[in-house]
Parts: sequence; structure tokens; C-alpha cells
Amino acid sequence: MIAVFKREFLSYFRSPVGYIAIALFSFLSGYIFVNNFATGAVNIASEVISLRSFFVVIVPIITMGLFAEDKKRGTEILYYTSPIDLFSVVAGKFLAAFCLYGIMFVNVFIHMIVTKSCDGIVDIGAWGSVIVFFFLAMLFISIGIFASAITDSQIIAAIFSFIMIMVIQLLSTISSLAGNAIAAFLSMLGVASESSNSVGEAITNGINWLDPFAKTSDFRYGSFSVAPLVFCISFAIVFLFLTFRVLEKKRWAKS
Amino acid sequence: MIEINNLVKHYGDKKAVNGISFTVEDDEVLGFLGPNGAGKSTTMNIITGYLSSTSGTVKVNGHDILEEPELAKKDIGYLPELPPLYLDMTVLEYLNYICDIKQVKRSERKEQLAKIIAMVKITDVADRLIGNLSKGYKQRVGIAQALVGNPSILILDEPTVGLDPNQIIEIRKLIRTLAKDHSVIISSHILSEIQEVCDRVVIINKGKVAAIDTITDLSKRLAGSSKLLLSFKGDAKKIMNEIRSLPGVSDCKIRISDKDIHEAEITVTGNSASDIRTSIFYVMSRNSSPIMEFRSLDPTLEEIFLSITAGT
Repeated sequence: MIAVFKREFLSYFRSPVGYIAIALFSFLSGYIFVNNFATGAVNIASEVISLRSFFVVIVPIITMGLFAEDKKRGTEILYYTSPIDLFSVVAGKFLAAFCLYGIMFVNVFIHMIVTKSCDGIVDIGAWGSVIVFFFLAMLFISIGIFASAITDSQIIAAIFSFIMIMVIQLLSTISSLAGNAIAAFLSMLGVASESSNSVGEAITNGINWLDPFAKTSDFRYGSFSVAPLVFCISFAIVFLFLTFRVLEKKRWAKS
Repeated sequence: MIEINNLVKHYGDKKAVNGISFTVEDDEVLGFLGPNGAGKSTTMNIITGYLSSTSGTVKVNGHDILEEPELAKKDIGYLPELPPLYLDMTVLEYLNYICDIKQVKRSERKEQLAKIIAMVKITDVADRLIGNLSKGYKQRVGIAQALVGNPSILILDEPTVGLDPNQIIEIRKLIRTLAKDHSVIISSHILSEIQEVCDRVVIINKGKVAAIDTITDLSKRLAGSSKLLLSFKGDAKKIMNEIRSLPGVSDCKIRISDKDIHEAEITVTGNSASDIRTSIFYVMSRNSSPIMEFRSLDPTLEEIFLSITAGT
């Protein structure tokens, strides 16, 4: 696992990918921070929360090549023919992408120091958002890795993870749209409005249950709980396991 | 030693490999031949554990590739058709990475890499990016990769494809050096190469083994009758008749006649072509016609290959 991690992590800096991702993140976080700074209302928590909307761009950039490139170059054969466990390959690549995120995030820590040195406040809510940020990063990176494992084209991997992350980010909108649509459909069929509304509501709630953003929203107010974090980790593990299965399946390929 | 027993691989309805069995002894070089799509690469991929067989077993030094994959894979070095190279790494970084994933002990690493690098002659490019190397060097790095971890078995899938003649000779030399203390399986389209480096050949066709034998035995088996080539000066008609009347000669025909030099192809039935050569010499001597060239026409591997794969 460490070998794969080391290779993948260093390879971010052998190609422009790592630099582009870090530059992009620095620009975005710096832009948000400076904007807040100018108004005199620096809020690290809100900065971190705004940065979450860029997962959709940055995660596909850093994960698209992880497996797709190996397949295209034929180097994936090394994983299958070496006495190495396929899951440790997946874990190594995941860790590499996660650490790259850690390096990007140094920006935010610098902003915290600047805020502190200007007599600003870095409260528990800021730290709460930071924790949530990293758990969400885990979740989205695992989706990106899965996308990269199912295709040998980086572009398709990027598009696929972009769409998946987009859907998760819009989950609260999607859920209310779906709930309303179904309620409207049922009442059109002549179901009493009370019961059709409650079905719609149930569907909205059901989809909302999947929304990691809603689950972790209390962290920014300093109210921590374990369940949402477990949710994110489980989500990530499921996708990493699916990735592992995709790789394993290749061995038994029927075509 | 590799024992392959009744290997079958289905791709949907298509049987890519259909009941292949053979054994590779220790320190033997085995040529693996077959037309495109015969199942060569699939078989090699199964032996190395990249693909799983539908049924059948592969045992590497006694370890089943599916039941004890770690132990089996440790004994195999594989150079696939497309060498698995990371173009963004230097040769040394890459080989160190291979050491990592093949779990070579840190204490042995330096010595082993130095030996491999010297053996495949990549010392002067060790610090260069693999992406900037020529095809021949890339191929050598690929072979170096297969040698990491000191496996007793090497599997090389078309190791000389796309190389220039000098590079081909170099790689062949290298393979012969490696063959001294490794079992080697080589697949190739270049038959002369197989003829040159291999002890035995396995010819497969349509997923089945068409022949397993040493090259000399294969040619004998195929020949049934051997042929001699004779070029000479003198009266072609008279000499032909005399040769035809020799016991054991079944056919004799002129291939080319150029002014006064004639080239004849003599088909000899029976077991020994060597006896007839003496009599032919005396025929020529009696007629005082000078022999310009006289040699036996044993079938080349190309001919063996064609006749075996065409019939099935």
C-alpha cells in the first residue's frame, strides 16, 4: 500500500495535475478569504463551506487518472501479477489523492493564522467545518476513484465523477423536486391530497437521508456528532470496495 | 517448473483457450508459437495470474496460481506484450517501485538492482525518464522489471517485437544468458528467433496444443522424407537420370537452370540422407561435373509452423 501511495502521490508532482489542483484551490480559497477580509467579516467556517462546492471540479481532476491511466498504459498488469493485494492498491491510491487534498488545504490553515494575527476569531465552528470538509473529501475521492476504475479514458472518468458529485451536491434540491413531482402525480391520479403529500414528503426525506451535506450541517455551529462522520466513512468504504470488486472482476472477464 | 493442466478460458461463447496442457522444466527455454488469436497471450496471462482460467490448473513450482497466488507470483517475472512502464519515472525510480510492489527486502535491493541493471545493460540510462528512452531501451527496462525479485521463471510475450535488427540480436543474447539459470517461456512470431533460443516449442492453434516437441524432432516428424539441394555444372539430363536410378532416391528435379549451372532438388526416402550423399558424389565424379553447392534442405520452423497450423 505504501509503495502505491508513494508512487501515486509523487506522480501528481511529476505531471502538471498536482500543481494545477493546488493552484486552483489556492486561488479559490484565497479569493474567498480576501473577499471576506475586505468586508471585515472573516469567517473561516463559511470559507470552508464555500470551498466544498469546488469538490465537483477538483476531485475529478485529481482522481481521473488514478486507474484509467494505468489501464491505458498497460501498467495495471503489475498489480495483478505482483504478490500484492488489490485492495492495498486501491487504498494506496485513495490515500495519495487524500493527501494531495491535505496539501491544498494548507492554504486554509494559513488563512486561520492570518485571521488570528489580525485579532480575528477562529472558533469551534471553523474547526467543525474543517473536519467535515475532510470527511466529505474522503467520500468524493472514493467516488472519483471508482469512476476511474470503470473506464480506461480519463475524460470519461472525469465526466462520470463530475456528474456523481454534482448529483450529491444537489441532493436537497433533487429530493424536494422528486417529492413534489410524485405528490403532484399521485394527486393527479385522484389520491387524496393529504396522503399524496405525505408520500411526497416521505420520498423527499428518504432522498435527503443520503445527503452528506445536510447530515453534517450542525458541525459549523460547533455541534459535533459521530453518526454523520461514520456515514461519510461508510460511504467511502463502499465505493472503495466497489472499486476493488471492479478490479477483481477484470480477472474473471467474460469478454 | 510450471505445470499447466487442461487450461480452459471462455470469453462468452468463444473458447479462447481450450484444454491446453504442457510442462516447463527447470532451466528450459520453451518457445510458444501460434498464429494471431490462437490464445498465446491469454495463456500467458493466465499463467501469470493476470486472468483467471474458466477451468484447469496452473502450478508454479508446486504452488497453484489461484490457491497460493502470492507464492506462485513471486516465482514469475512477466514481460507483457506492452511493457508496463511508467513513462513519468526514471529507470531507477521505476525499478525501485517494482522492488516495493514485489516485496523485495530492503537489504537485498541495492545489490539485486545493480546486478539486473548491469545484466540488461541500462547503466547509462538509469537516471533518465523512461518516457524519453528509445524502444530498445524501454524493452530492456521491461525485462529488468521482470527480473526484479529474482524469479526462477520468466515469461516473455514477444520480447523483440518492433525492435531494429541490432536490438533484436542484443535481446536474444540477453535471453540466452538468462536461460542459464531461469526457466523461460517466449512467445514470438519471429520463428527464427524461437529456433535460435528455444529448447522445445509448443505450437498452439485455435486454443489447442497442435504440437509439443524439440525443433529437431519436429522437423524429422514432419519431413518423413528429407531433401537435398545440389548445384552442379555439366550435362543436366544425364546426371539427373543417373541420380534418379540410385536406390533411395524417389524424386529428382531441376529447380533452376542458369547457363551451365543447374540446381536440383533431390527427394530421398528412407531414413538416412547421409548414405545417399556418397553415391551422389561418385555420380558427379564419374561425370566429371563440378559440385558448386550441396546441402540438405531440412524444413525450417516456418515450414513446420505453416504445415501444422494450416491443417487444423
